[in-house]
Amino acid sequence: MSMQTPKEIGAIQFGLMDPETYRDMSATKIITADTYDDDGYPIDMGLMDPRLGVIDPGLECRTCGSHSGSCNGHFGHIELAAPVIHVGFTKLIRRLLRATCRDCGRLSLTPEEQEEFRDGLQRNEELGEDWTNVLKAAVRQARKASRCPHCGAPQHDIKHEKPTTYYEVQDVLAGDYSERIASAMQPDPDNEDDSGVSPSDLAEDSGLDLSRVNDILSGEFRPVGEDRKKLEKALDVDLTEEDMNKLMPSDIRDWFEDIPDEDIETLGIDPSRSRPEWMILTVLPVPPVTARPSITLDNGQRSEDDLTHKLVDIIRINQRFMENREAGAPQLIIEDLWELLQYHVTTFVDNEISGTPPARHRSGRPLKTLSQRLKGKEGRFRGSLSGKRVNFSARTVISPDPTLSLNEVGVPERVAREMTQTMNVSERNLDRAQQYVRNGPEGHPGANYVKRPDGRRLKVTEKNCEELAEKIDVGWEVNRHLIDGDIVIFNRQPSLHRMSIMAHEVVVMPYKTFRLNTVVCPPYNADFDGDEMNMHALQTEESRAEARVLMRVQEQLLSPRFGENIIGAIQDHISGTYLLTNGNPEFTETQALDLLRATSIDTLPEPAGEDEGEPYWTGKQLFSELLPDDLNLEFTSSAGDEVVIEDGQLVSGTIDEDAVGAFGGEVVDTLAKVHSKTRARVFVNEVASLAMRAIMHFGFSIGIDDESIPGEANEQVDEAIASAYDRVQELIEIYEAGELESLPGRTVDETLEMKIMQQLGKARDSAGEIAEDHFADDNPAVVMARSGARGSMLNLTQMAGCVGQQAVRGERINRGYEGRTLSHYQPNDLSAEAHGFVENSYRGGLTPREFFFHAMGGREGLVDTAVRTSKSGYLQRRLINALSELEAQYDGTVRDTSGTVVQFEFGEDGTSPVKVSSSEDNPIDVENVADRILDAEFSSEEEKAEFLGRKELPTNISEYAGPGLDKARSLEVESDD
Amino acid sequence: MVDVSQHELVPEHTLIDEEEVESMLTQYDVKRAELPKIKRKDPALPDEAEVGDVVKIVRDSRTTDKAVSYRLVIE
Repeated sequence: MSMQTPKEIGAIQFGLMDPETYRDMSATKIITADTYDDDGYPIDMGLMDPRLGVIDPGLECRTCGSHSGSCNGHFGHIELAAPVIHVGFTKLIRRLLRATCRDCGRLSLTPEEQEEFRDGLQRNEELGEDWTNVLKAAVRQARKASRCPHCGAPQHDIKHEKPTTYYEVQDVLAGDYSERIASAMQPDPDNEDDSGVSPSDLAEDSGLDLSRVNDILSGEFRPVGEDRKKLEKALDVDLTEEDMNKLMPSDIRDWFEDIPDEDIETLGIDPSRSRPEWMILTVLPVPPVTARPSITLDNGQRSEDDLTHKLVDIIRINQRFMENREAGAPQLIIEDLWELLQYHVTTFVDNEISGTPPARHRSGRPLKTLSQRLKGKEGRFRGSLSGKRVNFSARTVISPDPTLSLNEVGVPERVAREMTQTMNVSERNLDRAQQYVRNGPEGHPGANYVKRPDGRRLKVTEKNCEELAEKIDVGWEVNRHLIDGDIVIFNRQPSLHRMSIMAHEVVVMPYKTFRLNTVVCPPYNADFDGDEMNMHALQTEESRAEARVLMRVQEQLLSPRFGENIIGAIQDHISGTYLLTNGNPEFTETQALDLLRATSIDTLPEPAGEDEGEPYWTGKQLFSELLPDDLNLEFTSSAGDEVVIEDGQLVSGTIDEDAVGAFGGEVVDTLAKVHSKTRARVFVNEVASLAMRAIMHFGFSIGIDDESIPGEANEQVDEAIASAYDRVQELIEIYEAGELESLPGRTVDETLEMKIMQQLGKARDSAGEIAEDHFADDNPAVVMARSGARGSMLNLTQMAGCVGQQAVRGERINRGYEGRTLSHYQPNDLSAEAHGFVENSYRGGLTPREFFFHAMGGREGLVDTAVRTSKSGYLQRRLINALSELEAQYDGTVRDTSGTVVQFEFGEDGTSPVKVSSSEDNPIDVENVADRILDAEFSSEEEKAEFLGRKELPTNISEYAGPGLDKARSLEVESDD
Repeated sequence: MVDVSQHELVPEHTLIDEEEVESMLTQYDVKRAELPKIKRKDPALPDEAEVGDVVKIVRDSRTTDKAVSYRLVIE
């Protein structure tokens, strides 16, 4: 096969096609509706004519001589018996009919007006705006003219009956004009003084002769033109009726042929490419058979494509039309057939036109015709061109593995054997390449294919692998399996932000799931309740390099959405660091070493003190081991704790979600911005490991008893609720006495509802406070809520104290029966329990009625989420389509594809949200950062001075090249045999 | 009537002379028609603005104090 040179597309021009061009490019005229004869051979000049291309393998194309696969097919054509309208252009046809003269075909605009619109068109093009606006304005202007400014012919209004019928509407003298005049001359029966109009009065008022008026009244003379207008004015009566004159496609075609080229230009249409009469079809192009292949069913029957079915219909009607016309059939029949032909051609182009019944298959399924092939999600554009299926991709369930680094992904061996990377064999990797081939396609790490220097590709099989391995030499290519350290792209749908697709390093593992570190759950929004994710193996060196430098998880630590870290400790990690640093617990040497064993810290600092002769280390001390020595940070955690870190030592404060959590943990954020992404990655990995060790050291579990409160507390809660009920009752009494004063801007009813809601809200809050007071500080639910690991104090309140008021649409529950929510209550009962107040706690259990109200409130939440996701999904799609053509240029401006400036400076400040400090209190100390890096890099001042001005960061592009747990050190080259 | 252009949330719109327009166009290497547009009728524009003029808009910015942009006045 010869390689074709890729060519650059300079421009794409859209226009109409000349019927002559259709004929010229046609391979054959199609005259028979049949496809195959009895022997199964395609019929000449039929719909499957071999000159239209070949689909059966082995046959030769009668037009170009090539075989199926290399022949793209050739168009044929059908000569239509009568012109029909192309549905795609009905709007433009309507506009042109309205804007041009019915007699001379010229645009109904004065030369000055024409000039103006031409200028408008040019200005529009310069400004890069939509030219149809000018077209619309010109048509609106031209339509106003009642007479053609060029030939003076009167113009009529055009009525368009969708989809393809046009009428000329004319005002003509009504048939009953004399009766209308006579009745208008009668005196008004409600007005005593009115004596009517006598014929002589009328003659005087209208300025017509009396004899003429009498002739008109007797119906002997038809008052047309000026006479009619005079009479109408004198009597204030309408003497006209609408006359609809149907415009046949042939009339329209004749009309459009008269439109001069210059006038078309004024409307923004290029007459050299698109003549308006070409919108009326006289020849129908027949798509090549390759575009509508027929399939042979198992029983040997042929099943034709929808397009072929539609073409059969068209040809049949076309023939009947011609036969009837030649036989001199009455006009009515001809018109019926014409309409039928129009219908078939219309549905051939678009089968989803409103007002037209869709053409159906015998089974009742609507046919999929030309428009349907292109439109919509599964159409050619969105389905086939923008969206493609790819090789080297895998999808499976995900599960957690805390021993992996956040940059890594566990890949099942079966997947690793399927996905390959191309190795270019050189002297240096010859041994390895041979070993891979020797291992074969079944062993891991093996190889699936090899490519000889002559370009021939050979499949590696169990049988030939030994033999093939010996032949491998420099210059060959080996498609080897994925191995540890390879880079792959990992993705979870919906891909809503750029962190939904990140690059990971492969760790080949047994079993069938992808494994990932739990700290990358937030960016992917993943959990392990059955989520599946996709993996793509990269196939070129360039893509692998880009993925490593730009897409690796550690490069995506900071979210461009809010400029802070999106990756950090979650859930148990936060509980763990909280337990480790809150109250500063003490650990013996063994315990301390055990906590740190999953990190890269292998020596303990000086002990904090001695207890009965044994040295001990504190939790804060151990946490500090993970921090860089020069970290200084001060912030207030949302729990109200003052956290102070001095020279890499946690001096005071508890480490919780605000320090190390995902979504803006201060320490992680600062490390990523002030130190490096690599340092932040190492920190997050090690915090996760340390926290898991810590939480296991202390032990952490939660059960139903952890939410129970003592009996006295329960009594207090009941008391609080009872008093709230009393207050609600008071409010209701005041209301029923008509003494409730309404709040400004509200009715009395609304005021009552608000006040009741307020009271009940207070009741729940006080129940929560009572419950909170009776929880110990080491209660696991409290630990999780305080540290921000999971749950909130409100959740605890609902579990232990009182669930509280249920709401639908922000109000107490008011729906159900007339005047009451459930038949258990009296009508118009305004009390708390009748409107969805749940006084019990989840732990205590809900009554059936409470349960029902709770379900009502819960349902609303579910519906809201479902509606929100679909709404926001569509919004996001439109937003992305609009923004996808904006690009930040090298001069700092943001422009669209046509070069129009959108922003003069990216974001109007030229800064990246991920490179700026996330809080005003902790600005990034640039000088300090610079000094630190310079000090670390150079031993002597001279070297530093010499180097100042140029600085290259060490490339750290893999888990196998420290710092952190340096995998390269521990990884020995393993032979597989 | 409220003069919208005096509202604190409406940034300052000033007409710039032809010389400044030219230097701005060369600075960004753009044609006049490639600038962002603003309608003649826009209440934020100074009254004397005409179609084809260029206005300079200076906005307050949290990060850079002042953010400057330009717009071409269109019909």
